[in-house]
Amino acid sequence: MCTRVAVRQILRWGVRNATSSVFIPLQFERCYLQSLSRLLCSSAHQSTLRPNHEASPVTTKPVPELSLSSLIDMGFTDTQAEQIFESVSSVRGGSAAKHILSTLTVLFVLGLNPSSVQKLLEKCPELYTVKEAQLQQRISNLRKLGLVEGSLQRMVAHYPKILTVPVKTVKNVVTFLKERCLFTSQQASDILRDSPAVVLENLDQLEYKFQYVYFRMGVKQTEMVKFRLFRFPLDEVRCRHIFLERRGFYQTPDKKGQTTIVNPKLDSILNTDLDTFLTHVAQATAEEYDVFQKLLAREWKEEELQQGKIEADDDDEDDDDDDDNDNEQTGGKRGYEKRRKK
Amino acid sequence: MRNRCLTAGAKSDRKNLTHGKMALFMDTRLILRKVTDLRCLTPRRYRVKEKWAATHAKHPPTRLALHHFDATYSVQLGKLWPSVRVAMLSERKYGALLNNFCHDAVLVDLQAKGCRDFITNREEDAKPSLEQNSEAEAQEECTDVSLKKSDVDGQEINLSPNIKCLVFPRGDVTRFKPAKPDAYGLLSYYLMDAASVLPCLALDVQEGHNVLDLCAAPGGKTLSLLQSQAIRFLCVNDTSVSRTMRLRKVLHSYVPKQFLTDEKLRITSFDGTKWGDIERNTFDRVLVDVPCTTDRHSLMEDDNNIFNKIRVGERRRLPQLQLELLLAGIEAACPGGEILYSTCTLSQNQNQGVVEQAICLARENHGIQLEAVSLRPLTQMFRNTFHFAPDLHLGEMVIPHLAANFGPIYMCKLKRLT
Repeated sequence: MCTRVAVRQILRWGVRNATSSVFIPLQFERCYLQSLSRLLCSSAHQSTLRPNHEASPVTTKPVPELSLSSLIDMGFTDTQAEQIFESVSSVRGGSAAKHILSTLTVLFVLGLNPSSVQKLLEKCPELYTVKEAQLQQRISNLRKLGLVEGSLQRMVAHYPKILTVPVKTVKNVVTFLKERCLFTSQQASDILRDSPAVVLENLDQLEYKFQYVYFRMGVKQTEMVKFRLFRFPLDEVRCRHIFLERRGFYQTPDKKGQTTIVNPKLDSILNTDLDTFLTHVAQATAEEYDVFQKLLAREWKEEELQQGKIEADDDDEDDDDDDDNDNEQTGGKRGYEKRRKK
Repeated sequence: MRNRCLTAGAKSDRKNLTHGKMALFMDTRLILRKVTDLRCLTPRRYRVKEKWAATHAKHPPTRLALHHFDATYSVQLGKLWPSVRVAMLSERKYGALLNNFCHDAVLVDLQAKGCRDFITNREEDAKPSLEQNSEAEAQEECTDVSLKKSDVDGQEINLSPNIKCLVFPRGDVTRFKPAKPDAYGLLSYYLMDAASVLPCLALDVQEGHNVLDLCAAPGGKTLSLLQSQAIRFLCVNDTSVSRTMRLRKVLHSYVPKQFLTDEKLRITSFDGTKWGDIERNTFDRVLVDVPCTTDRHSLMEDDNNIFNKIRVGERRRLPQLQLELLLAGIEAACPGGEILYSTCTLSQNQNQGVVEQAICLARENHGIQLEAVSLRPLTQMFRNTFHFAPDLHLGEMVIPHLAANFGPIYMCKLKRLT
């Protein structure tokens, strides 16, 4: 308790005194804070209590009143403080106001500067409702998963939603990536870093996307990670791939991994804007691609309906289940080969 | 599971069939009770064929077809091949051939949905050429090029005003709904590849002509010809009996009985190659829509696919068969008559190759002089609806393209000079 207050005090002093950059170097700060807090707590215990005598009733009361001044004390500019104050008030109930200051503290401890924090909160107002303890848990979980300092902050700044995702979900996704998709730990944390939205994806969809790219496109894990496959929605990947395949520029490798033509790299398929893709890789016009997208969307819808019908029929027959389990690996592959002729 | 069910069904088939037959001789009430499943009354050869095997063939005919086309057409079409390939592997586009014999006025409804009759709605096509004409006249810059252009545009091909075919605009992938019968049981339109109407237009049937359709089944082109309502007598033939029956059904669904009398129409199932012996120098117009590798079908359907390994011999003999059919058609035409050769393949072997040989052989063996009639005015007219292959030295070809996914259709018009 007194540690927290002390930390806050230190932050205030540090922030007030630092004129140029408000971003406190993290490693320095953490050790600094930790040592400081230990110091404060161990030595002169009573002496610290007395000056904070006024503060302690505040901390025992669960609601330190959120006010513009307290926000400004934390280091926000006037406009930023106003915005935060407004959005907090607009968030349902008074629950946000209760732990907003602790939430903000955690974010500062993470090493983000006030303007980043404010942008973050704007992007993801749900963060207001996350409790401080949860937040700490989630951040430490991310650290455990291999997100080092620097990349962790960047990821949170770009995709604050990841802090609203429970630890269990994140762990499930990472386990899935390592066990079902056979990514290494390093690769899994790279995926998490580059495409954090992956934690919110349906695991079935994720598996389908992985299997599609692995079997149908013949792309291995290294390239998937390198070229940030998981940033792209399945539909886009499929559409571009099938467009190339039907034009004759992409072939599914045979069981020896060979093709008669050189397949374009995943990089040139995904990480290019549409115009470059059409001109250089597909050698087609935008009109063709536009019509193709419409036709393909219709094809998939009809296939899904067909699958639904087939599954409904299979449910009546018990024997089919065994077949499905045996052919799990190859079944997935053959399912895609079956889909459309090249 | 599936296999077991199917084989069980097959064995009890014969039993069911006889039951059904017996039921027909009994009281009506009993018939209604016995005949529960019409499958038992359908002869097995008409039922939908399904693969009986549990696994897919390693090299299905569609894949063999694709390899074959990749090898041939990449050379023949060059840079155009990828666009044609993707179009043929995607859903085709249909046109609705309007049935003039039907009383329902569907034209307005369909037009409301955005279709237009590509045959009459050629304003967009006509305008540029008209402008060129007026420019040439106004400026009086008589360069050879502008003169030639106005000449070609001046040669407006006579198109039968009665043949109408609706299509959705370029890039629009809306599907047509199936046609509904009117009060007399006739359907209002026939869904077919819009490019298949072009050979019928190119044939240019005029009032009072006798026309022969040598390989007519399943009947789309025959129906288009009948829509012109200018034919005095139409002979319709197809080698296959089953396909001729299908043709009959189509005609009966679209054309009133009074136009299908023996005085107006004759449907036969003779061997088309023998026509030179049957009826020589008879017809004003002959349509020879020969059997070919049907490129689009071969890429999409495994059933009844000519690239099946069993049918290699049949496929290799195709050009020979096509040549014989064309020669028969030439012999059947009267001097001054016109013959239109059409296929639905991109292959030069089956297209220009056959026509060139036919012209040669007709001259050498039968003393018939033939002249190839240019279809350039036609392609000019419809260049905004279809993609035509550029620089074909003989005949014209519609090639598939995603935005105008019609074809492939090859056509070549020959005129008998002697």
